[in-house]
Amino acid sequence: MKSKIKFLSFIVFVLAITFTFTQCSHNDKEHSNDSDKASVLDDSFDKIDDSQSNSIEINEHGVKFDHTKMALSCKDCHSCQYPTKQKPCLINCPRKQLITVYHAPEEGPTLVEMNQIKGDYKPFMFTHKLHAQMANMTGGCQTCHHYNTTGPIQKCSNCHESDRAKVKNIHIPDLESAYHRMCLTCHREWSHSTDCQQCHLSKDQNPEEYKKSKIAKYQHKDHPPLVEPGKIVYQTKHSSGKFVTFQHEDHTKLFGLECKSCHGDDNCISCHDYWNKQTGNNTVKFKKTHKTFQQHHNPCSNCHTIQNNCGKCHKEQEVDKFNHSSTGFNLGTNHSHLQCNACHKKTGVFKGLNKNCTSCHNNFVMGKFDHKKTGLQLNEMHADFDCSSCHTNNNFAVSPVCNDCHDGYSYPAKKPGKLVKKK
Amino acid sequence: MDEKVKNQNPRRTFLKQFAVGTAASVGVSLIPTKTEAKFKDTQRENETRMGVLFDATLCAGCRNCERACKVAHNFPVDDIETFRDRSVYKEYRRPSPNNYTVVNEFPPSGVATFPIDVKVQCMHCNEPACASACIVGAFTKHASGAVTWNSDMCIGCRYCMVACPFQIPTFEYDKAIQPKIQKCDLCFERTKVGKIPACVENCPVGALTYGPREELLLLAKEKIERHPDKYYHHVFGEYEVGGTSWLYVAPVEFSELKFPPVGDSPAPGVTEAIQHGIFAYFIPPLALFSWLGGVMYVNNRKNKKIENEANEGEKK
Repeated sequence: MKSKIKFLSFIVFVLAITFTFTQCSHNDKEHSNDSDKASVLDDSFDKIDDSQSNSIEINEHGVKFDHTKMALSCKDCHSCQYPTKQKPCLINCPRKQLITVYHAPEEGPTLVEMNQIKGDYKPFMFTHKLHAQMANMTGGCQTCHHYNTTGPIQKCSNCHESDRAKVKNIHIPDLESAYHRMCLTCHREWSHSTDCQQCHLSKDQNPEEYKKSKIAKYQHKDHPPLVEPGKIVYQTKHSSGKFVTFQHEDHTKLFGLECKSCHGDDNCISCHDYWNKQTGNNTVKFKKTHKTFQQHHNPCSNCHTIQNNCGKCHKEQEVDKFNHSSTGFNLGTNHSHLQCNACHKKTGVFKGLNKNCTSCHNNFVMGKFDHKKTGLQLNEMHADFDCSSCHTNNNFAVSPVCNDCHDGYSYPAKKPGKLVKKK
Repeated sequence: MDEKVKNQNPRRTFLKQFAVGTAASVGVSLIPTKTEAKFKDTQRENETRMGVLFDATLCAGCRNCERACKVAHNFPVDDIETFRDRSVYKEYRRPSPNNYTVVNEFPPSGVATFPIDVKVQCMHCNEPACASACIVGAFTKHASGAVTWNSDMCIGCRYCMVACPFQIPTFEYDKAIQPKIQKCDLCFERTKVGKIPACVENCPVGALTYGPREELLLLAKEKIERHPDKYYHHVFGEYEVGGTSWLYVAPVEFSELKFPPVGDSPAPGVTEAIQHGIFAYFIPPLALFSWLGGVMYVNNRKNKKIENEANEGEKK
């Protein structure tokens, strides 16, 4: 009897194991079917491997261009599949200077109707001029119109596919994503809201009325002009060399730096912390990240040598704006608009320049100089003289005295020519 | 008295021998722990495997994906404006039987200056634990990457829910008759006909990108390389639990976004190695049972011998 029970339980056990085993092999079969399907799927996908070519190019200034760092695929610039150095088959692509378009914000459209995407929401009016004026402070036109070729502004849809399902190169976002990313990068930070109706129409709004009201509101609205500080004084925590005075105006006007050279990465929120001001409640904590010495000095060290040069900027007190007349040479009206290196040719060396006009102006000789430029056209008699005949010792800073040659003559009663409009 | 002793002895020896035998067979089964889990040749399949890359730096938490998912799977859907209600973010949500995907919001931290929104749904593991745990094989890992579930085969044991390292499969507890296991199917029916998943199609900012998994990995790494200070330098899902079809990049560490601390080894790896080892080519069970049979045969023969001897003794 007992051996019978043993035998029965053995049979049941074996059956159970056989069932589990067949179940496993069944799964394996299904799986192999799937891989057959997969090969079909595989063919339907375009392999995008050409964006991975790793070409670093060095231009004539020795600056490295890593093409892979740009959001480009080979086909954006090359028309053939295998471009070579001899046959690069470039299409109209500016390569090194990808963005060459610059318009004043006012030259562009005031409002643009965004209606290329069909979706849950109706088209909306984008205040292009206002945004362009804001962008002028940071990256300029290229903040949005990136990778624009030379010539007219390219349509976003030229590169950004408007139908998401048809996107071939997943490295380039589709049109809807591209638009929304542009807007939300700033608007999320600025208003701390992602409410769709910040831009889009609400249901009860009539599209035509909305359009009219937008035009009426923004037709003549401008972003307030940006006020540029003369100088900015930074206080450092070091006991010696506590103050660093940054002559902002000099850098923009004298050295001709564009806003974006320093403010390229700034965001609207740098100026407009709208939400925080409204609530008076700063929940967004900007974590102070530790900057390395290099990062901290980056804005300056791009142009200035900072190694062993601390005292140049780090002073014991605030520094006044540099007054050129303190050197004994008043810039006056003729020289004030010049950039420093127009006269101070040697980089970094400013002292020891001869105050004499001819040390810079090599055209201050007879026959080469057009005297009209000074506002006085010499008459025939005087035009034939050598400069030094009147301007003794070639000192042009001091006006000649008529009396030296002509007894009893004096300027302006008697003139060696006629007064003309200064050129 | 004599008989009792005779009967006890074989049982004791049998139990002893059985214990030794079981230990031996388990030992044998543990030897091939290196054998691949159910889904072999992962590398080859990676070439065809599709996936979705989620970029948490872009997601604005509009919950369009939640709505699109409901529409695509024929669930009752509210008006789009109800999905703009951000009060749902007050508590952490999980997918539910009629909501395959949910978005959760986390307060800003690290380099992020605004809240971080993260979409949660089935990760579609390369080596899915649910499929491994399912005792009736109701789960299928497709070559396209999708892990789907077949209601006709399910017996409702809910092993998959326990097995999933991300706790994704949900059960229709409120249904008395034929309750289903519900989870994201990577829009298997849509992708079969060339469409892209509904959530991907409806994301306004393109925080979701659908494409070949290998290509998505390149895209994810390119994003991190181009904006190294914007991203936490890790692609979640590249290696986690042996790789998943859904990949994530985020501005902060993933543990801050309530991603479970899963390792890189596939979830079904250990269990399958043991279970499949036990039944590998049916040799261990055959060996075990033939050995058991042998033991029984020897015991029987002994018993008979004793009985015969006893009988002979009686005759004498």
